[in-house]
Amino acid sequence: MENTVKPYVIKEKPAPKLSVWRIKIESLITGAIVFGFLFIMLAIEVMPVLWTFSTSLRPAIRAYELPPSFLPTAWEWSNYWTVITMQDIPFVGFFVNSLRISIAVTLGQLLTCSMAAFAFARLRFPGRDTIFFLYLATMMVPGSVTGIPVFIIIRNLGLIDSHAALIIPGLTSALGTFLLRQFFLSLPNELMDAARIDGAGFLRIFASIFLPLIGPGLSALGIFVFLGSWHNYYGPLLFLRSWDKFTLPIAIAILPGLGKYTMPETLALIILSIVPIMLIFLFGQRYVIKGIALTGLKG
Amino acid sequence: MAVLTKSSKKFHLQERESLAGYMFIAPSAVFLLVFLAIPIVASLVLIWTEYDMLTPPRFVGFANFARLFTDARLATVYRNTVFLVIGVTLLNNLLGFLLALAVNRPMNKVLSYLFRTGLFLPVITTTVSMAVTWRFLLASDRGVINWVLGTLGFDAVPWLASSQLSLVAVMFYDVWKTCGHAMVLYLAGLQGIPEHLYEAARVDGAGRWHLFRHVTLPLITPTAFYVFVMYIIGAFQIFDNAVVLTGGGPGDSSRTIAMYIYEKAFRLYEMGYASTISLTLFALLVTLTLIQFVLGRKWVFYE
Repeated sequence: MENTVKPYVIKEKPAPKLSVWRIKIESLITGAIVFGFLFIMLAIEVMPVLWTFSTSLRPAIRAYELPPSFLPTAWEWSNYWTVITMQDIPFVGFFVNSLRISIAVTLGQLLTCSMAAFAFARLRFPGRDTIFFLYLATMMVPGSVTGIPVFIIIRNLGLIDSHAALIIPGLTSALGTFLLRQFFLSLPNELMDAARIDGAGFLRIFASIFLPLIGPGLSALGIFVFLGSWHNYYGPLLFLRSWDKFTLPIAIAILPGLGKYTMPETLALIILSIVPIMLIFLFGQRYVIKGIALTGLKG
Repeated sequence: MAVLTKSSKKFHLQERESLAGYMFIAPSAVFLLVFLAIPIVASLVLIWTEYDMLTPPRFVGFANFARLFTDARLATVYRNTVFLVIGVTLLNNLLGFLLALAVNRPMNKVLSYLFRTGLFLPVITTTVSMAVTWRFLLASDRGVINWVLGTLGFDAVPWLASSQLSLVAVMFYDVWKTCGHAMVLYLAGLQGIPEHLYEAARVDGAGRWHLFRHVTLPLITPTAFYVFVMYIIGAFQIFDNAVVLTGGGPGDSSRTIAMYIYEKAFRLYEMGYASTISLTLFALLVTLTLIQFVLGRKWVFYE
């Protein structure tokens, strides 16, 4: 195999022995480069998370010791206890707030998006394609454009400083509708015909035939929406005012600035905030990856 | 007679289906109307006004537009944002594509799982919390990054305290957080390339480089196009990263356009001017996306 081989031209095989060795050596070298690259990138991506965990378990006086460690060198669980029971930021309350908002938004989107997606994928009605195109168009509008008017609307509804301010605007999304539509479209046409011959109403066809079949799509969307809401920092920053209504991302952003807590305690709070989503991710990894591949959704 | 009954029944069924269609989209459509469509129209009204949310909006004509051209800070934050967008878009795409190529090679199942999960890990962590971690890692004094640089023989660097480097730190953080996401998108693209195309080329005597150059590269361009379009829109709105990592400082050196809009609207309550700025961002994004679609015809390969 010389470099002069042109593509798509059948050539006689060159002398075997020499080229077999050459291919072996070449693939060994590329293999080494590829795995070297992968291991370096893996280290860069994973180390900060491991460091957060190992340092969160160090006693405060040893927090800044170098070299850094990526596996725990101490087991100072009291850091976690300090964070959970601290007076300045009621951790449990913030955690419950985050959970409440995320669950409400997730359930809302699963319901509204699946209904709309079903209609766009499986029902025929005048204007359907135009409306769907408008849905897609709204996906291009950046949040910072709608942010100011949405704030004014929420304020006029009297919802400032309530969790409803975060839940209500998040109860549907064009992206979620788009994702679930893809799943509904992948189901066979005969399903609909069979159900209609049996005389089932559309609500029943939707709820008892189609919805159970797009479990993976619902899982993917559910995880995405939950993650997005759990991560949301901009929303709470904008709409919430009182201390007891704040969510975890706000707590994390505030804590280092208080100057009262040590680095390991701050890191313990971070670990506590990412553990729930890690668990969700490990259970639903397949759906997450599939959902991303289908839509490019960003968590 | 029989024919007539049948067709009127059919008509009835279709009417019912249409009605059901509208009912099914109603909940979602109403929310999108209130929180997306109306806000867009409202911002087209706000740009002509001065509005502090305490007194009623006051019509000011072109004043907000005139102000855009004399706002020196706006020029700075736009410059920062464009630098950031170019940096993160190129790096995320390059790393995402290379990682996808590497991970897509046949390898041991355990290793493959380890790489895919590990490289994706930062994507699922909270932006704000890992930004706090990175603030510790990037600390000038006793920060881990500077320690690593030190052991490699480089000088310690004041990442977050220097107005030359703070924006670079924000950029690196975003790439760290996002390149695993790009990897998954490119991986899906690679796996969508039909195997028979590779086989056909191999039968024709194509070597590894030629397979890459003439099969993989052209067939990954639709994915690349999609990722570029989405990521540019996303990168223009970077907010959390910079707020927590640098707070926009020192000075305005790492302030992004989204942070500036936030400051004008929700700290200073200049709703009219803030809407005007966000409209410039919207116009810029629409223009850029259209340009990409036009240029895309030149380099995106469709089967």
